Amino acid sequence: MDSSIVTSLYGEFAPLAPMIILMIAALLMPAVYYATKLRDAVTLVAVAAIALSMFFNILMMIDGYQGDYVGVFVYDAFAGVMILLFQIVALLTAMVSLSSSETTRAHYGAFNSLLLAATVGMMFVATANDLITIFLGVELVSISSYALVAMKRKDPRAAEAAVKYVIIGGLSTALTVYGLSMLYGVTGTTNIPEIAAALSTQDFSWAFGIALITMIAGYGFKIAAVPFHMWAPDVYEGAATPVSMFLGTGSKKVGFVALFKIFIVIFVAASTTAAFATEEVQYIFAIIAAITMTLGNVVAISQNNIKRMLAYSSIAQAGYILIVMAVMSEYALASGMFHMFTHVFMKGGAFLVVGALISVGIGEKISDYRGLAKRAPFIAFAMLLFLFALAGIPPLAGFTSKLFLFSSAIYDGGLGGGVMTQWIWLAFIAVLNSAISLFYYTRVVKAMLIEKGETTERIKVPKTFTAAISICVVFVILLGIYPQLIMDFCADAASALFGI
Amino acid sequence: MFVEYTWLVPLVPMLCFVIIGFFGKKMPHGGGPLAIFGAMFAFLISALISYEFFTSAAYSSPGYVTEQITWFSIGSFDINIGYYVDSLACLMMLFASFISTLIFIYSIGYMHNEGVKRRRYFAEVSLFLTGMLGLAVSSNFLEMFVFWEAMGLCSYLLIGFWSFTHPNGDDASDNAASAAKKAFLVTRLGDVCLMGGMFVLMYEFGSLDYTAVFDTAAMASVDPNMLMLGSLLIFGGVIGKSAQFPLLDWLPDAMAGPTTVSALIHAATMVKAGVYLVARCFPLFAQNPEVMLFVGVIGGITAFFAATMALNNMNIKKVLAYSTLSQLGYMFLALGAGGYMMALGLQSGDSALIAAGAVGYTAGCLHMANHAFFKALLFLGSGSVIHATGTEDMREMGGLHSKMKITSITMLIGSLSIAGFPLFSGFWSKEIVLEVAMHAGDYGAEGYLFLVLWILAIITAFMTAFYMFRMWFMTFKGKPGHGAEHCHGESPKSMTIPLIILSVFAAALGCIILFGFDDYVTIGIHAGQFQVGSGHGHGFMGWLEDIFLSAYTYLTVALVLIAIGVAYVMYSKMSINPGKFNKDGNSLLYKALSNRWWFPRLYDQIGWKMGYGVAKGVEFVDTQVIDGTVNALSSAVAGSGDSMSKVQTGNVRDYASVVVIGIVVLFAVMLLLFYFMGGA
Repeated sequence: MDSSIVTSLYGEFAPLAPMIILMIAALLMPAVYYATKLRDAVTLVAVAAIALSMFFNILMMIDGYQGDYVGVFVYDAFAGVMILLFQIVALLTAMVSLSSSETTRAHYGAFNSLLLAATVGMMFVATANDLITIFLGVELVSISSYALVAMKRKDPRAAEAAVKYVIIGGLSTALTVYGLSMLYGVTGTTNIPEIAAALSTQDFSWAFGIALITMIAGYGFKIAAVPFHMWAPDVYEGAATPVSMFLGTGSKKVGFVALFKIFIVIFVAASTTAAFATEEVQYIFAIIAAITMTLGNVVAISQNNIKRMLAYSSIAQAGYILIVMAVMSEYALASGMFHMFTHVFMKGGAFLVVGALISVGIGEKISDYRGLAKRAPFIAFAMLLFLFALAGIPPLAGFTSKLFLFSSAIYDGGLGGGVMTQWIWLAFIAVLNSAISLFYYTRVVKAMLIEKGETTERIKVPKTFTAAISICVVFVILLGIYPQLIMDFCADAASALFGI
Repeated sequence: MFVEYTWLVPLVPMLCFVIIGFFGKKMPHGGGPLAIFGAMFAFLISALISYEFFTSAAYSSPGYVTEQITWFSIGSFDINIGYYVDSLACLMMLFASFISTLIFIYSIGYMHNEGVKRRRYFAEVSLFLTGMLGLAVSSNFLEMFVFWEAMGLCSYLLIGFWSFTHPNGDDASDNAASAAKKAFLVTRLGDVCLMGGMFVLMYEFGSLDYTAVFDTAAMASVDPNMLMLGSLLIFGGVIGKSAQFPLLDWLPDAMAGPTTVSALIHAATMVKAGVYLVARCFPLFAQNPEVMLFVGVIGGITAFFAATMALNNMNIKKVLAYSTLSQLGYMFLALGAGGYMMALGLQSGDSALIAAGAVGYTAGCLHMANHAFFKALLFLGSGSVIHATGTEDMREMGGLHSKMKITSITMLIGSLSIAGFPLFSGFWSKEIVLEVAMHAGDYGAEGYLFLVLWILAIITAFMTAFYMFRMWFMTFKGKPGHGAEHCHGESPKSMTIPLIILSVFAAALGCIILFGFDDYVTIGIHAGQFQVGSGHGHGFMGWLEDIFLSAYTYLTVALVLIAIGVAYVMYSKMSINPGKFNKDGNSLLYKALSNRWWFPRLYDQIGWKMGYGVAKGVEFVDTQVIDGTVNALSSAVAGSGDSMSKVQTGNVRDYASVVVIGIVVLFAVMLLLFYFMGGA
């Protein structure tokens, strides 16, 4: 079986095949719910659609399929890997939405519809080859997720979080558009390879500088980089936990994909030819990365609400991934993508555990987790793995991905590749930060495993949660001991992006 | 034919861990017999591997057998996984698996009343053993690091997870959790250094394989400053793991776990990993005399300070914990002093000095092996006493000799050995350690420091003998205390038999290794490469001359005998009241020792309070100060401040303003960067 199935089925739309399936499913969702009134049926259709889309995508990835749709959407190795990541996030979210006590009941069809639409938006960004399509994709994600945040049962915090999210999101959209239009003004085109070509023949201009800063601010909002991070803890805390997970692991990556697409492609192409100053912008990213990871980790120490703690830890993780933007090497990009994958399973898993426990009536405070090991041994064990993986303890996934990522800040061209980069100070800050992070992760572990709870009554977690958590556990271990599983794809993806 | 199966050594205990973890509840003794089988199997296969290796041609050249496969690769860089067997690895495998076997057998008796908890206990100790054995046979730094961390994790789980009820000890079981956390975080601090050291090695050598890093030509071609940085960072990891000064606080607190776990941590695993790593990296560290000097100084200081803290402690396990620290200090002193001489010898090409340095290596490794046996013996013995009396406070013991003859005599042997009483194991290794330290004082510009350390080490030897016999006399002689009256006689056979076996080793092993196998635990340069083992021992007469023709040996022996005598008079005959020397516990020195020179309080201040304070402060700045300023600014600019909707907490407007201000700042930063870097 190979990708010829996809091409024969979809013809010229083949590069968009994974999205088309989800788009159709998204449109069907409300109808399915209206017709059956069964939430199980809706989830089943959603999960089946994601699985089918994933199947096509994996076929195309393994086969090394490449193609474009009228030049604005390009499916290549990079798009394939990122689409896979978004599909995994969507799959996990769709599974657990069914049994989460926080997700909406009345609008369940619409909820799933929005979830799939947001996923499609993410996938559009991954394939986009044009500023307009990137922008459209990001907006599709944003607008869907504003509604997703608001859709929570019996909790006024959600409405408040959603309003905050909309306002700040709107501001950053405005900034992004401003930046994109500046870029268009400078280069006269919205096509990314053409922008790169145009920039390589001209000098740096202030209009371009303004474009850069406003785009950093706009996409910095998506990835929750300091100082554009302040919405994140409020929104993650206020939203239903499956949605928090969707935002923290999926939506955040959209911002990164956009940054990779716009900045790396432009800079790599431009820096090879003209005397184009990229280093200053790399420094800006390095400073943002250092501040983001430090602030995220330090503030996480004093949090008592576990969702807020995970939100701050998520900010810190974004800081780690921003190392890629500072280093801008092919190896760094591959490592960053790998870290994005492991982050899905580590942070996603941790959010899933929180969501599962909320669904059985356990609170969001760290002190509510006391004695959990006795009450739900598997859940506590899984949480231990996720948190230790996030802290980077071997042989879990977080260790290998951090090893790749931090070493990319030290060496140019991979380990043992020869030249030490000037970003070694950034690697040093990152290593120190991951030591600090252990401080707050052990607080949770201590509460779960060591401290005594008020009761030792067993907890029965909904089955879909157990299944989703098990998937994360398997990958947190598997990617730790066999990183090559994904890393090879990431390396191909990185060279695809650098090859444009 | 056995060497090819070295991977089985860590794998079998690993499988035991998995099986016990899943099915332990249904197994007899919570899976204990399977854990014993795993350890015993590891020991047997290690013995076969060692025998085959020592009789093979590879032993004399190149001195190791290694085999690896690619674990994963990053670009052109391969991370390998495999085994590396040489004399040092064999030594570690053998004593770790042997002692663990005995400790596991002992645990069957000791843990008898723990019910279902035993499943977790036996699963975790099996994983612990996996970590240690894996570390011993690893073929490169990253693989080693994985096992190193696995062990750290296990110690966290074993110390804290346990919530073991401690009878009358001064540790309430509530403390177990914070002790575990402290142990974990402190060792992690070291691990961060170790990780940094690995990055340096990766960069400089382009590989993390032992064979590539310890290659003399490769080490010579590397920037010496980077080599020194890498070595010091690796030693930073060792300081954390082996609880050396200034990170020595966690190990005594880690006594909160069951006594068998203490025995495991202190004797066969965990803290020995640090010594092993220094011995493993000896060729690397020996490239710089300064690094080795640092190792020696840290070791000497730890040996001295830890011994002082043991002098007036009343908890039997804590006395043993401090003595572990102190003895580890001796090992680092020996390795440091030996390495210092070897480094100077390498620089000047003086082969006699290199040979003198190798003695330090022998002393360090020999003391490590000896210590493993007598410390396991002492901890298990103390466990037997605690089991019988139900207390850890030595004041409540006393007069137990008549009731627990086997425990008493085996512990006496252990105490004699650790005190360095002539002809017992500890005597031989300690004498060589002292000799090496003094010898190193004759060389180099900073050599005089070793003379200072030697004086400290001699005083430490005196203190060691004193506090060990203070412990023995308080426990087994003198007036029976409250707890001793509860004692109904000797512990069960599963506990006493391991004690007897260990006491035989604790008495004689040092002598056997030193006079029979000294050429296996030495390091030398053959055909231009460092090589552990292979025929450069001093020989039987050589050691005898070294030890007995030196006047200093008799000085140490005299000090040890005096110390035992003083302890006897004070705690057995009770003819001198110890309270006379410390104003009944009110003197400043006494308080300093009881409070461990106020180290814990210092750490608490620095670690928890400051760390948490900073976090709170940053949060305050993040959410209040910035917001506040922004608030004021934006209302000043926007007039009423109603331009954006005010949502409950009213900070959306502030968030938006932060975004805008952030952009302005970014723009300013960009201007500055362009200005200073000459872009645009």
